[in-house]
Amino acid sequence: MEHIVGVADMKVSNRTDDTIVTYSLGSCIGLAIYDPQALVGGILHYLLPNSAIDAVKAKSNPFMFADTGIPALFKQIYELGAEKSRIKVFVAGGAEIMDQEGIFNIGRQNYSALMQILTRNNVSIWKQAVGGYSNRTVKMEVASGNIYLKTSGLKEVRL
Amino acid sequence: MTSLQILIKEIKNLKPIPAVVTSLLEIVDDPNASMKDITKIIQYDPAITADILRTANSAYFSLKHPAETIQEAAMMLGTDRLVDLVMLKISAQVTKGTQKGYDLHEGALWKYSVSSALIAKQVAGQLDLPNKNSIFTASLLKDIGKTVLDKFVQDAFEKIYNLVINENFSFMEAEKQIIGVNHAELGAMIAKMWKFSPRMVRIIRNHHLTSETMVRDKDIAVVYLSDCICMMMGMGVGADGLAYRFHQQAMDYIGISAEDTLKIIADFTCRMEEVEGLLKVA
Repeated sequence: MEHIVGVADMKVSNRTDDTIVTYSLGSCIGLAIYDPQALVGGILHYLLPNSAIDAVKAKSNPFMFADTGIPALFKQIYELGAEKSRIKVFVAGGAEIMDQEGIFNIGRQNYSALMQILTRNNVSIWKQAVGGYSNRTVKMEVASGNIYLKTSGLKEVRL
Repeated sequence: MTSLQILIKEIKNLKPIPAVVTSLLEIVDDPNASMKDITKIIQYDPAITADILRTANSAYFSLKHPAETIQEAAMMLGTDRLVDLVMLKISAQVTKGTQKGYDLHEGALWKYSVSSALIAKQVAGQLDLPNKNSIFTASLLKDIGKTVLDKFVQDAFEKIYNLVINENFSFMEAEKQIIGVNHAELGAMIAKMWKFSPRMVRIIRNHHLTSETMVRDKDIAVVYLSDCICMMMGMGVGADGLAYRFHQQAMDYIGISAEDTLKIIADFTCRMEEVEGLLKVA
């Protein structure tokens, strides 16, 4: 079964016939994590770096923000048997509009927020496709952990 | 024939936009226009009237009693929502297809147009701009040029893509360089042919703020901002990606800060379900 992760959404699975996909990441981040031993994976599609701008929305939808969505994703796949030491992390998105500098560059802020959280928790990134002016779609096969990336203007590739 | 000549010929062959659009645009932002003035115009188009009544009576709007006439629909929905609905219906007719050159699947351009129009109207309301209804329609139809330029983009895609990736061209600068016209200019030609007001034509032509002087036009800045927000949210983004220029001066001019932008994105995200519902019925 294919699970579609919408905007400000998350899906996890341990069913080996499942795929998880998130479409059209502009400045948003698609964070895909996978444990190859437990055969458990999940994708988070968050939009904004910090929940401090709206605590009420963060409570009703934690997947909207990096600081509330990322811990929720890890927590859920731990519950399905994943272990931190085995987790493979793939990151896509965080794109920017041309000449979008400083605090208006939400893509870069989204990526910085992720890096801060991962660094603080000693989690490293396996592969990433971030920044630039491209729109991206990410798909994960739960059985294999294979990641497929579609970048605007290009064909889909397996990483 | 040059590409431009072929394109001009193609836009002349486009189906004309129903007259109800231009008639409504003349009065939607006039504070003196009454509900009766609005319903009179809509009624004049029986196809749209029947379509609007069907939609107004769908579960999405959950009206207490079915609306049997446009006047009843206007009373129950409010004239603003009624006019929006007419514009949504008509924009669906012109933007709903597939745009292969831009790698936009069926309905993607329309969803993006509707989303950016809703954001633009909300921001125009926040800023208390007097033209929020025509800003809504301009936002809905701003990418009409893409529907015609599409096959030229498809044919010239490698050249356009190369300029964007290797020469730091924005996608529309590359369209202009390779095809001779960009989608915003072409959209403005179409709007002119549809007899839209010079102001509407100007918004469509400048919705990516190619000219610096246009930064100081609040209506254009709002349409531009909503477009940028959609791009950042990945809506309606195809082969062109986010390869358009960002003009912070426009944000500064209308007084929208980076934090305001984050809040607009968060608010709109909460409305996504409502938007999906609206797209299904409209």
